[in-house]
Amino acid sequence: MILFENVGFRYDRGAEVLQNVNLEIPAGSFQFITGPSGAGKSSLLRLLYLDEKPTAGRISLFGRDVTTLTRDEIAWFRRRIGVVFQDFRLLDHLTAAENVALPLTVAGVREMAYRDNVTEMLQWVGLGDKMDVRPPELSGGEKQRVAIARAVVASPDIILADEPTGSVDPDMAERIMALFVEMNRLGKTILLASHDVPMIERYKLPITILKDGTIDDGMGHSGRGAAA
Amino acid sequence: MSALGRKGSLIPFTAASGFMMVLLIAAMAFLACFSLAGALGTTRIAGTWTEGLAGAATVRIPAGEEDRARRISLVLDVLRDTDGVADARPLSEKDVADLLTPWFGGTPELGELPAPSIVAVTLDAENEPDPSVVQARLDGASAGAVYDDHGRWRNRAAQAARAIGNLSYWALGLTVLAIMAGVFVVVAIAMSAHKSTIEALRLAGAEDRFIAGLYQKRFFWLGALGGLIGSGIALGAFVGLDTLASVRSALPMLEAPYYWPFVWVGIVVVCGLIAVLAARLAVLTTLRGRA
Ligand SMILES: Nc1ncnc2c1ncn2[C@@H]1O[C@H](COP(=O)(O)OP(=O)(O)OP(=O)(O)O)[C@@H](O)[C@H]1O
Ligand SMILES: [Mg+2]
Repeated sequence: MILFENVGFRYDRGAEVLQNVNLEIPAGSFQFITGPSGAGKSSLLRLLYLDEKPTAGRISLFGRDVTTLTRDEIAWFRRRIGVVFQDFRLLDHLTAAENVALPLTVAGVREMAYRDNVTEMLQWVGLGDKMDVRPPELSGGEKQRVAIARAVVASPDIILADEPTGSVDPDMAERIMALFVEMNRLGKTILLASHDVPMIERYKLPITILKDGTIDDGMGHSGRGAAA
Repeated sequence: MSALGRKGSLIPFTAASGFMMVLLIAAMAFLACFSLAGALGTTRIAGTWTEGLAGAATVRIPAGEEDRARRISLVLDVLRDTDGVADARPLSEKDVADLLTPWFGGTPELGELPAPSIVAVTLDAENEPDPSVVQARLDGASAGAVYDDHGRWRNRAAQAARAIGNLSYWALGLTVLAIMAGVFVVVAIAMSAHKSTIEALRLAGAEDRFIAGLYQKRFFWLGALGGLIGSGIALGAFVGLDTLASVRSALPMLEAPYYWPFVWVGIVVVCGLIAVLAARLAVLTTLRGRA
């Protein structure tokens, strides 16, 4: 489903952010990426949601080399990928419900068809009473929950979450993790980037550790993500 | 669910920029209407002149010559014998006096003036004679008469009218281009203000044409509204302003006012479509350029 082969990446003319990354994420798996701040976790996810192209190596996604995708194909691929951005990226002029519905709206789904779905999703993240509120009037944790609802509402094949529990209290974090586990049980592939090592370790799932842009397998050279 | 029930725009357009866009398109539509009127009017005038004057010619017998009556009958004989001449008829002194009235004011006493004698010639429209041949025949009969089929004047006037008509079409075309350029620039600027929104839409899986559609919808209405206002004022001016009476008389559409509403709706829709086209171009080129 997701395959990185010797992937290298740099922003414009900056230094290399990722080097020689090899990673395989089979369909239906649930994995974590961790590592210190600045290690390149968000950059790696960025490559996966096709916001950037690798500057070296090869990434294949759904069996396609990502560098060969047309703009339309990129759009269609993104519909199969739900993303929780580290900085949420909500639209301030839309209500929470409109934000959650965005992946469905842009895919041309009629409001009639998704209305209940959106409501249910917002209730699930505990924001059933904030559907008409716009992001500037929401707390950080509430925004994060809107972002999570948006990422999963269209039932994508892959869910990428960048620090999805970074702004919520432990109870809500549990609840959000339970949502991801549930989605994974439904067959979704989930890749979650987080600093929160204690939380990650509780789930006994494969963990990839990034350090200075390379995968750290504890042996001083790059390799496949090691299971915790 | 009121949040979803209300159809909020996915892109936060501002009222102020919309107002300016309408103003620009209204001004352009106003100019376009006058260009169109100029083009239609002059083309028609040119047509009328050529048609009205075709099939007619005159033979002028200079004043001061003696034996006027004999010369006229000589001319008539030659003309009636000429291929392509349907009819030839001498104008009475009164007819000539009427023709001269604009130059002399009042009704001149022809006896006191060295007025030429004029023979009105009706030509066979299918088979107009070569002016030089007619002139040669008249000279042959030494009638001392001058043949004039108004060709030169007719052609020159009609050419001038047509030239103005063509320029008006150019002006119309340039106005349309100016509308497109204006919309293009405004859309491009709007897109840089909406950059993060557009990025969020793209990341949510929106295709370029979906984003273009959002702008097209908005700019169709701005274009149509601008067109409605601009052409409304222009059409109102045509009908209402005395100074434009002469333009009015040259415009064929004014003789059939029943289809005016359709012309108006047509202009409005065309303005909307021009704006749509320009907005689409602007969005697609901007998005591709950003990628
Ligand atoms: N848009 C950008 N342009 C240039 N450099 C960038 C950009 N975004 C990130 N970087 C650089 O890339 C490196 C990796 O950043 P990245 O955001 O991927 O790290 P991260 O592991 O997600 O960190 P954190 O845990 O703090 O979120 C950093 O050194 C950062 O300065
Ligand atoms: Mg990050």
